[in-house]
Amino acid sequence: MKRRTFIGSMAASAALAASTTATFAAEWPRRPINLVVPYKAGGGTDAYARAISAAAEGILDVPVVVVNKPGSGGLNGANSVVGARPDGYTMMMTSGGSFLLSTMTRDTDIDALESFEVVAQVGQLRTSLMVPKNSPYQSVQDVIDAAKANPGSLRWAHSGRGGFHHVGGLGFLANNGIEAQDVPFKGGGPTRAALIGEQADFGFLGVQQLRGFEEQLRALAVNSADRDTIMSDVPAFGELGVPFAAVSSPVIVFAPKGTPAEVISAMEAALAEIAAKPQFAELLAERGTGPVYASGTDAKAGLAAMKADAAPLVQSLTN
Amino acid sequence: MEIFPALFSVITDPTLLFAIVLAAAVGMIVGATPGLTASAAIAMLLPITFYMPPLFALAFLYVIGKSGRYGGSVAAILFNTPGTAASAATQIDGYPLARAGKAGKAMKVATISSVIGDLMGDIMLVVGVGFIAAIALKLGPPETFAIYFAAFVVIGSVIGKSIVKGLASALLGILVAMVGLDPISSEERYTFGSFDLSNGIGLVPLMIGVFVLGEVFSQLEERKKAKGDIKENESDPTGHTLTYEEYKPCIPHAVRGGFIGAGIGVLPGLGSAIAAFISYGEGKRRAKNSEQWGKGALEGVAAPEAANNAVSGPSMAPLLTLGIPGSTIGAILLGVFLIHGIQVGPTLFLTDKELVYQLFACGMLGILAYGIIGYFGATQVARLILKVPVNVLYPLIFMTAFVASYSARGSMFDVTVMTIAGFVGWLMRKYDFNVAAFVISFVLAKGAEETFRQSLLMSDGGALIFVERPIAAAFLLLGLAAMGFRIRSILKERQVADGGLGDA
Repeated sequence: MKRRTFIGSMAASAALAASTTATFAAEWPRRPINLVVPYKAGGGTDAYARAISAAAEGILDVPVVVVNKPGSGGLNGANSVVGARPDGYTMMMTSGGSFLLSTMTRDTDIDALESFEVVAQVGQLRTSLMVPKNSPYQSVQDVIDAAKANPGSLRWAHSGRGGFHHVGGLGFLANNGIEAQDVPFKGGGPTRAALIGEQADFGFLGVQQLRGFEEQLRALAVNSADRDTIMSDVPAFGELGVPFAAVSSPVIVFAPKGTPAEVISAMEAALAEIAAKPQFAELLAERGTGPVYASGTDAKAGLAAMKADAAPLVQSLTN
Repeated sequence: MEIFPALFSVITDPTLLFAIVLAAAVGMIVGATPGLTASAAIAMLLPITFYMPPLFALAFLYVIGKSGRYGGSVAAILFNTPGTAASAATQIDGYPLARAGKAGKAMKVATISSVIGDLMGDIMLVVGVGFIAAIALKLGPPETFAIYFAAFVVIGSVIGKSIVKGLASALLGILVAMVGLDPISSEERYTFGSFDLSNGIGLVPLMIGVFVLGEVFSQLEERKKAKGDIKENESDPTGHTLTYEEYKPCIPHAVRGGFIGAGIGVLPGLGSAIAAFISYGEGKRRAKNSEQWGKGALEGVAAPEAANNAVSGPSMAPLLTLGIPGSTIGAILLGVFLIHGIQVGPTLFLTDKELVYQLFACGMLGILAYGIIGYFGATQVARLILKVPVNVLYPLIFMTAFVASYSARGSMFDVTVMTIAGFVGWLMRKYDFNVAAFVISFVLAKGAEETFRQSLLMSDGGALIFVERPIAAAFLLLGLAAMGFRIRSILKERQVADGGLGDA
């Protein structure tokens, strides 16, 4: 039933789009494209957006302007894009996992899969358990022991409730039977700074945030079964035998619903080209991440799978 | 003292010098145009800089940021429109000066003060970049909250004739700031189910509405009441010249503003607007002629202008060493470093020391460039604008308010906010409520709330965290002391007033 109305509305909007915007779509892009990043500058998703903006030179004829609209686990920015004119000049690049989770945990009309067109995936972010360099905790086990010895005494930082760092952290706590108080900051950059400044005992933040800050922070584990391909020095929860929640985040470009199909496919092609550019990989390597390209269809399927996997987890974590 | 060889290498490069002067001019124009912000201009110009060498690109954008901050004062003084959020405090005294035919004088004071503040900030940056970064790191949520608290008290208690109405205005500002999403739990508040309101009320449309549209409405009303020509915008023949004697009393305010701005700049996220308001508040509190402030005191232009520009330099320290951008411009500069393959972080001063100091040198030359252009150009601009008749100028300002509020985020909802804020601003003025206190508390409330609640999470709900941390405690004491002084001086004024009545 829901599927049918969805297809129906798709067909209607496609027909409408075809009749009114055929010539318009052929001329796309003529103005700079605003790429909304719903997080503060300096975080992992932001790094991807800025690398896209730099590497788009020569592939897209117009500049890609990164617009940061932070707040509320990425929903502020998503809210602004979902209502934007679907003309291909406003798109959103977001951490797909965080976005999906916040639409599931928060009371919102936005549905990550239904409210947007998925353009393409360009990267993959993983969260990790980090401590300040001066911290007494040398291993994941130290953190677990300390938390068990004194339940609720530890403070942990993350980049906003409902985000995948937060849910990843909650998964770690729940799976290991420990308790700690979370302190949300707005975005990855401020979270890292807070952790360096020892405002919290540990934090869950993108493993790529370690790059350049090896003297200030110590990453104890990355929140996945295997090591990250770029930050390969950091052990994985999987290999350490520590139970965790498999939450990660594909970096995905979304367009407002009703954006002409020609524009979507043109942008998808451009993103594929950008993601294959050596310059893009080099820029990302500076920030400890790398390109992971997937087409719009594949990215959407991945999100749908994650949604199915995360549903019971989110249910148990929020209750 | 790496700065001297860096300065030398920059001065001997004519193309780089040209880029700096060009950037100073572009920044000024952009900053002075209501609705265009320096950060928007930088974002648009960013792609051009891909083709430039890193130093060129960074210097160009850095100087635009600096002169854009200064350029905002031109619009604030001439049109009562804050060209940038940072110049909102400048218009409190700048606009009355312009209406008294002293626009040129006010703009020269703004120019000199901006240069003083900006240079102070940059010198502090060059001397203590490592130290600044270390401080910024140690200031967690409790310290930041204490600074917000001190800012609240200093500003709120200084501005306003009626204390009750001043407090009511401030509370209204806080209430409006609460609209949107809760910073900690991400729950919706005061949104009444409205999609647009869940994004909160934007600062730019609110400010344009309250200050610009509200002012236009007030003027309309006054003109109707007066039933005749009001002589305004009559250029005073001495209104555009500035003597040393006139600037002399501004110097301590500019220097204090420089220190305040530099101090605020160290903290990512507080920003120029807050620095300017604190400096204005402190300046007024200490001024001998504080009754003049708000009616057109040159010192009232000097204090906030110096502070908002002094933010520029020190805010680079947390950006370069910690990778935390304190402003949109900072975030874009971070992107430029990234594009050119320079890793921002603690190791930057080992890997690209020369580049960083050359960038600082370019910043200093940029300050001088916009200072010179501004000082001599401001008079001409002021003369030109003041020749425009009021019945042409006001409709233009009126229209600009709509365009500017729309263009900031491309949102029609912002235009609605601006219009409502315009009526609110007009009514507040009409009934002697304090418009400035309203906007300032709106600016401060969000950050204060976020840091307060983060602190309480850190301490398990215990308020002692603010006292146990020495820096936090110091700022809280400062705020309380300011409040105490204010109460004492009010009581004194009351006594004097009572005595006066008794004699009569």
